Amino acid sequence: MSGVTRRDFLKMSAVAAAGFTLSHLGFDLTPIRAYAAELRRDLRIKDAKETPTICCYCSVGCGILVATDAKGKVINAEGDPDHPISEGALCAKGASSYQIAVNENRLTKVRYRAPYSDTWKEVSWDWALDKIARNIKKSRDKSFTEKNADGKVVNRTNGIASVGSAAMDNEECWLYQKMLRALGLVYIEHQARI
Amino acid sequence: MADKSFFIDTTKCTACRGCQIACKQWNMNPATKTTQRGSHQNPEDLSFVTYKLVRFSEFEENGKPVWYFFADQCRHCLTPPCKIVAELHSVSAISQDATTGAVLYDPKVKVGEKDFKAIREACPWDIPRWDDKTQGMAKCTMCVDRVKEGLLPACVKTCPTGAMNFGDRDAMLAMAKGRLEQVKEKHPKADLLNHEYVRTIFLVVDEPRKYHTFAVAKPETVIAALHESNVLVGS
Amino acid sequence: MTNHYIDFRNADVILNMGSNVAENHPVSFKWIQRAKDRGAIFIHVDPRYTRTSTKADIFARLRPGTDIAFLGGMIKYILDNTLYDEFYVKHYTNASFIVNPKYGFDDGLFAGYDPTKRAYDTSLWALEKDENGIPKRDMTLQDEHCVFQLLKKHYARYTLEKVTAITGTPQEDLEKVYAAFGSTGTPDKAGTVLYAMGWTQHTVGVQNIRAISIIQSLLGNMGIAGGGINALRGESNVQGSTDQALLYHIIPGYLPAPRAQWATLADYNKTTPASKDPRSVNWWKNRPKYVASLLKAYYGDKATKENDFGYAWLPKLDPAQDASWLNLFDEMYKGNFTGFFAWGMNPACSSAHSGKVRQALAKLDWMVNVNVFDNETGSFWRGPDTDPKKIKTEVFQLPCAAFLEKEGSISNSGRWMQWRWKCTNPPGDARPDGEIIYELFRKVQALYRAEKGAFPDPLLNLKWDYETNGKFDVHKVAKEINGYFLEDIPEHPVDKKEYKKGTLVPSFVYLLDDGRTSSGNWIYCASYTEAGNMAARRKKDDPTGLGLFPQWSWTWPVNRRIIYNRASVDLEGNPRNPKRALLKWDAENKKWVGDVPDGPAPPMGTEGVYPFIMKPDGVASIYGPGLKDGPFPEHYEPLECPIEKNIMSSQRINPVIKIFEGGPDTFATCDPRYPFVCTTYRVTEHWQTGVLTRWLPWLLEAEPQMFCEISQELAKLRGIANGDKVFVESPRGKIWAIAMVTPRLKPFVIAGQTVHMVGIPWHFGWLHSKDAGVNANRLTPTVGDPNTMIPESKAFMVNVTKAPKEPAKKAEKAQRR
Repeated sequence: MSGVTRRDFLKMSAVAAAGFTLSHLGFDLTPIRAYAAELRRDLRIKDAKETPTICCYCSVGCGILVATDAKGKVINAEGDPDHPISEGALCAKGASSYQIAVNENRLTKVRYRAPYSDTWKEVSWDWALDKIARNIKKSRDKSFTEKNADGKVVNRTNGIASVGSAAMDNEECWLYQKMLRALGLVYIEHQARI
Repeated sequence: MADKSFFIDTTKCTACRGCQIACKQWNMNPATKTTQRGSHQNPEDLSFVTYKLVRFSEFEENGKPVWYFFADQCRHCLTPPCKIVAELHSVSAISQDATTGAVLYDPKVKVGEKDFKAIREACPWDIPRWDDKTQGMAKCTMCVDRVKEGLLPACVKTCPTGAMNFGDRDAMLAMAKGRLEQVKEKHPKADLLNHEYVRTIFLVVDEPRKYHTFAVAKPETVIAALHESNVLVGS
Repeated sequence: MTNHYIDFRNADVILNMGSNVAENHPVSFKWIQRAKDRGAIFIHVDPRYTRTSTKADIFARLRPGTDIAFLGGMIKYILDNTLYDEFYVKHYTNASFIVNPKYGFDDGLFAGYDPTKRAYDTSLWALEKDENGIPKRDMTLQDEHCVFQLLKKHYARYTLEKVTAITGTPQEDLEKVYAAFGSTGTPDKAGTVLYAMGWTQHTVGVQNIRAISIIQSLLGNMGIAGGGINALRGESNVQGSTDQALLYHIIPGYLPAPRAQWATLADYNKTTPASKDPRSVNWWKNRPKYVASLLKAYYGDKATKENDFGYAWLPKLDPAQDASWLNLFDEMYKGNFTGFFAWGMNPACSSAHSGKVRQALAKLDWMVNVNVFDNETGSFWRGPDTDPKKIKTEVFQLPCAAFLEKEGSISNSGRWMQWRWKCTNPPGDARPDGEIIYELFRKVQALYRAEKGAFPDPLLNLKWDYETNGKFDVHKVAKEINGYFLEDIPEHPVDKKEYKKGTLVPSFVYLLDDGRTSSGNWIYCASYTEAGNMAARRKKDDPTGLGLFPQWSWTWPVNRRIIYNRASVDLEGNPRNPKRALLKWDAENKKWVGDVPDGPAPPMGTEGVYPFIMKPDGVASIYGPGLKDGPFPEHYEPLECPIEKNIMSSQRINPVIKIFEGGPDTFATCDPRYPFVCTTYRVTEHWQTGVLTRWLPWLLEAEPQMFCEISQELAKLRGIANGDKVFVESPRGKIWAIAMVTPRLKPFVIAGQTVHMVGIPWHFGWLHSKDAGVNANRLTPTVGDPNTMIPESKAFMVNVTKAPKEPAKKAEKAQRR
């Protein structure tokens, strides 16, 4: 009977639909053996901790529930059914949130590329932030302009610019612009302009 | 728990592919290497690691573009031919859940290539897939692990528009028939595909083959086949 | 957005134009579908037939960059067929206002144009005021200088024939769209508009939005449930990052950035919008309170009345300086910066003319690049055709936490400020951006404290105390943004109640201009109060039944879910559409019921106020004299266009745009070498430059490589088959893509001439994956809207050619490139 084809199946289905059972054809269908992995396995998020967050992509602001295991590792991320806008739904991007958290390509080290070098070097936070602070001071001190060409006070740093970022939270954005304006930057831009 | 069914209303599908990815996510199925082939449909086909695939089909009709989306998956037949054939081949990989009706493949059970081919060939919707490395078969599981805990299948849960629906078979059939009535006013060709035989009921508004080669098992073929053969004899 | 996502369900007609809602805001389609289930008409107007178009009841195709012509025709149609909402137009818009008789329009130019400056004298466009300084009006709308008559005259020129000739949209499709959307001009109907970068990324971007504002004002669709003008913004917190003023021209809460000509706080406050009309609320009159409170949030105790609250410490722009994106990179290209932060951004892919950006980055001494994944900006020095040994730029790449690895709030397009809880730890050494910023600035402060340096005052006087037990505390910043009472206030001028020093301000109504309150951003004042963190609320009551969910998260301003909502009621405060009552005046108890009203004043007919409280005149602006390029939108061709002559006038392009010339900035109009209109866009499966999504295997599997959509007709013309590799080339660059030959794209017939179009996504870049492709912005020009300087990435000219067959090995190598 290895030659059962699609057409044969259709016959069978039609029979079934017509009120016949396939046992008429000699097939024994009675014992349903629940051996499949899915039936044996427990819901894999049964004991997980679920934390609500909001999707990082478009501006709809869909709710996501992130499930983590006992060690805090993300094991699932799906729509938050309580969320009034998304009601549990997520598009392709939102539905792939798990792979943002669990991804071997994530940047996990501070990296430094020296002038004219062709490689990254891993460095410590302290080393990098000290050196960046030093660079900021150097650029700022060099380019700081107290008065413009008309003699008006402008107190600005012409030699440093910043772009970013809508990828940050409100509080981070606010903190960032506070820092930039304290440094005297006026070239402050981000995604909203483009 | 009662017999379950999906109702997939293609008129509401925007091909956001949330279902395709949510399926991968829940099942922790890896991505495959794909290339752009001049279509948004990717991966190209269902596979051992792709149980749910939004198929894109576009053409021109009366000078206007037509673009159909078909969120393909296992139909979870009332009487699954893959299982019948598997048993004929003494393949014990396929079972059917007594309560939900889900047709389940155990990917850990090794299946020979020839046996697999016969099983795939038996499916009018071309669903079964096999991995030549592990020799296991896989496809949509109806998320029975979720369903038995009262959750929706991952693909249904994630659908924004109501294209994907899931519930007790009676309710889904009623929903499908109700929606068909509505849609028929504008689309006289609208139809439910093989809803008597399957637990994944698609609503389409055009000839099913315009969506996907294996969208439907044609009822007229069934009737013709019935008359051609002697299946009914002796029953 | 004036409204919010769930509100789409309340609309009778939804016009999606200048965006592709199903692909780029997929889950919001839930609410469009909900409206459709009720029988709403969904219209999609777009150059391409997209996944959105498949669900449209009416689809109309237009040539990229011709939206004003399309909408101008709609304005004419609404006027010709008297489809406008007469009550609304008379009472709630400036249609009746009288304009300076010197205003005029002739052959594409408004009065006051100076060709040498490429600028207008906009004073000629002013509204006329009476002896008391109140705008002159003619409520019969008959005066030849009234806005309504000027509008009629201006758009009489936008005939169906001309609109079709410009847009390529068949007349019958125009009429279908106009009739359907025009049907919402009655109080019982609501029409909403969803747009995105398809409208903004043009040299007439702002005027595109102005055109729809006119339409929505005519139809009475502003301030009502199911109406509004809704920008579908591209990022999860780009609304918030704009509110927090990460832009050169504003400081938090949409206050203008200080400029050199405003030397003191008093000078700055002199620019506060004023109205002499007692019935106009002119909310912006409160601006001095918000500025003083902001300065207190910046400098704390160091900000005193005596020192102008530290106003002098803020950097000042030159009087007419434009430090926006394109100018920023132009300055960088000229070598005018030594340092640069690319914080959570990938400008080497996302910027128009990204080739120029890549060259500009090489002119820096140092760059800080903060991101979740490596990207084409941080790694620009090892990009294609780049020799690292020749690039001096020192690069720091700092790994930051992803959204689910930190706590904080984001604001969606509907202005919903939603709290995110931390779900897991960031991997490795990655840290939340907030922590990085906090620590970095402390290091800079320490350096200045130890070594002095240029003008250290703003650095050393900055209030920087957002930690708890030695760790950065985001809640402290959230509270700072909301604001505190800084002194005991025994009797507050607003409600005569007592407020204690150190408590959180309940709302911006309580902010003061005397230094007794702080608020880092007045529009967020009320978001984190003594009652708690409002953004973290998760209650789902919906008392109006309109889906406002007032206790889920929090919405700026003051939890108002639909702004301008006073325009939804009649003069007595009764809902104009009782079936969708957003607001109702309870005369007995003298209060509003429903959404949070635009101010507590009683209805307009009962000695109340005009509804548009943020506008100085209190009404919606059909006539908008405040822009650089005209008080009415006028069709101009994109900078790079396929036709020699603008069909509407002798002005081919917007007469006031800035032209960048020289170096890498080249353009080509009606140049046979670049015969096809090109537009850029996004797809559902990727996001922006792909800086996140290209690294996610599931998404890369679904959309793996750069492609280029072309029509079957163009494919035939160029001998290209579906799936072929092609080159797309503009005067700025050349990229490869896989051809997607599709019936969804069609050539346009523009003034009798066939114009082909090419569509390309901008999600790809050289860094990852290796064969994904090249970034689309290599092709886009450096040119922007004159008001916003948003680049014109939606309409420019290219050529498409089939890539020659490469020998197998070479092809493989090219793929790796």
